Amino acid sequence: MDGDLEISLDKLPIKRLEALEENGLERFPADLGYDEKRVNLIRRIDFAWAVEREDPSKKQKSEGASAKEGTATSQQQWPWQSLVENLQLAHQELSVIIDLINTVEANDAVTVAGMTRPKQLPNEHLSDLAVSTATKLQCFRNLGKYFKQSAKSLEEQIAREARFYGALIRLQQNWKIKRHRLVAAASGNEGFYIDLFDNSLYDSAAIFRPSSLSTIPIEHDTAGMLAVNLPRKSCHSLQFEVLGLRSASNLGKAGETKTPVGVNDSSKEPGKEHASNDERVREIHLTLREVHRAIHDEQVFDLVNREACNPSIGVNLAGIKENYLRLSIGQGASVSISLVPSSQDDETYGASHRITTETSCVPSESVDGVKLGGVDKPKKLGIPSPLGFEIYLRQVFHEHVFVKAKNKAMSSSRSQISSQPPKDNSNILGHFCMSLAHRIFSNKVLSVLENLVYRTPNVHLVSHPTWHSRTSSWTLSVKIPQSILHAGSQIPMSTAGAVKNIRSPFWTRVVVIDDSIRVEGEGSPNVVGLFRGRPDSVSSINGYDCDLVDLPIILLQQVASQIIQWLHEEALTVGIKANRDFLSLAFELDQGEIVRLVAHVDPEDTQGCISWWLTVDDGVVEEHKLHPDMSDVESESRKFLGYLSLDVLYSTLLDFLNLCSC
Amino acid sequence: MDRQSQTTSLQRLQNVEKKIVRVLELAGSVMDEMANPSGPRKDLVNSHCTEFMQLVKDTQMTLRGEIKSACDYRPFEKCDYVPRITNEISCKKLEHVIAQLDEMKQTIEGYGDAA
Repeated sequence: MDGDLEISLDKLPIKRLEALEENGLERFPADLGYDEKRVNLIRRIDFAWAVEREDPSKKQKSEGASAKEGTATSQQQWPWQSLVENLQLAHQELSVIIDLINTVEANDAVTVAGMTRPKQLPNEHLSDLAVSTATKLQCFRNLGKYFKQSAKSLEEQIAREARFYGALIRLQQNWKIKRHRLVAAASGNEGFYIDLFDNSLYDSAAIFRPSSLSTIPIEHDTAGMLAVNLPRKSCHSLQFEVLGLRSASNLGKAGETKTPVGVNDSSKEPGKEHASNDERVREIHLTLREVHRAIHDEQVFDLVNREACNPSIGVNLAGIKENYLRLSIGQGASVSISLVPSSQDDETYGASHRITTETSCVPSESVDGVKLGGVDKPKKLGIPSPLGFEIYLRQVFHEHVFVKAKNKAMSSSRSQISSQPPKDNSNILGHFCMSLAHRIFSNKVLSVLENLVYRTPNVHLVSHPTWHSRTSSWTLSVKIPQSILHAGSQIPMSTAGAVKNIRSPFWTRVVVIDDSIRVEGEGSPNVVGLFRGRPDSVSSINGYDCDLVDLPIILLQQVASQIIQWLHEEALTVGIKANRDFLSLAFELDQGEIVRLVAHVDPEDTQGCISWWLTVDDGVVEEHKLHPDMSDVESESRKFLGYLSLDVLYSTLLDFLNLCSC
Repeated sequence: MDRQSQTTSLQRLQNVEKKIVRVLELAGSVMDEMANPSGPRKDLVNSHCTEFMQLVKDTQMTLRGEIKSACDYRPFEKCDYVPRITNEISCKKLEHVIAQLDEMKQTIEGYGDAA
């Protein structure tokens, strides 16, 4: 050997010594397989941080398990054990890596591209079909239930609405029904209301505002039916009182209205629906009529106020307050027109109201009627009934304002106003007041006439309708009893015209226009003819005006002269020669004596107005022949015959037949 | 609408409403029939459906007729409120006259009793 030492290093993997024992034995680690070596290399990457995050428990478990396995296998001394361990470790390592890769993919929000479903087995297919069919059936069932339920509720709603709209249509036949669309949208109501204002009349002369009562809302009541609610005592009515004269008429004081029956009767059973629906509609009609009338009354009062404040003929305004107007008409009376709340269902109000009317009438002393001493048999007529005049007031205004306006508005030419137009076209209130004054006056005239006629035999009083509110007319006629007619007359009685000819001269007509009296009568002697000594020309119709004080005596003179006229005619027919004077009939007797039948009129006489005297004179002119009514004393030459009826007079006349020579 | 046909046209419209209710009932019963677990009975369904169609056709015709016959809407041309007041006044007059006649009758009876 040479003296050089060479050392060569082996490039092959060197087995590293794992352990060196005491006896010098070298222990080398076991040979690793190729995969193992790779795995070891991978293992060297530190995934601890990620793995711990993902599967910390798994790692602990596996570590624990591997530790256990490690301890277990070290005792087994199986030569493949280490390989198995390594493989397990590798498997675990790979699963960790796969999880890690999955997590990385998930963090990148990579979705699964597709999934292929496995083909359905037939039973799965059928069960799916069954489920869908069952759900469809369920839907059908629900739908069926829904339809039936809506049918039922629709039926109920129809029934309810049928009642409501049925009532509404019946109302619509008579009243104007309108609808507020906006109100309908806002509230639950349908927004119907009744309009009581007639706006077809007032286009240019819009003097009337619709009152607060004109629109009445239609509501549903508790049962869903139609109801109309009015506030209490909202309706007013005209009240008319005449003060200052005793009212003889007790026909219904003004302001009494018929109470509408059972407005608040809610005790009706719901079973009788049809009947109660009718009744309900009827009640509503009554209510609406009431309101309509109240509106008209308010309008009339308004017009009255307006006219009263304008000075015009016949209207004398005596006092004015709110809703109250007082006018003085002639004849010592005054009238108050007021607007009071109408008592709908308040009986006590009506009663107390009546009392106040009477107390206002009682302290009236100025009874201007003719006082005819003590005769109380014929009725003393005070004023006519206030109710009549209340109605007349309404009518007069209605006709001349509303009807005229309506006819003008309709521009039809067939406007007929049934009653007369007032004398002054715009002075309706004046006409009314004058009518009232006339009526009071004519009642006085009538009482005078009645008193006269009552105390005079064979005189009849007939009233004639004049169809004018300011004119009245009566006729006093002397009716000749049938006995005389049949006995004395030679003219056949069969013809009515002939009868009339006999009877017609005996009428006296009294006509009162406003407050002037006119008397017309036939048979009173022509004064001029009298002076000329030709008393025959007496059958002319005379007419003259007089006043109330002179009326009785004028009428009585007229009647008495008619009787004398008749007697004269009868005497001539019978054949007695007689002369007539104004109120006497003179017969000439055989001896030249002149016997007179004299009529004496005295309206104050309680037993009779016309009394008869018989005077005998011997041809000597006596003063009192010209004044036959002055002497009351019976003397030899005058004899009081009494209050004779026509038969007695006629028989007296016939007695003269025997006495007279011709 | 004139007064003679008002009630009958109202009745027609009410009948239309009843038909609609009936139509809904039919639909409900058809649905119930379809939901029958043993399958719908064909004749029943057919009859219901024919009735349904018939009712709908009737409704349509009635409504068409009613709409055509409804007159033009001229609101409240013939308002009768003024004659109504005239009538009210006449009613009051009659009541007054009747009361006066009753009084006269009582007077006559009074005379009759006295005599």
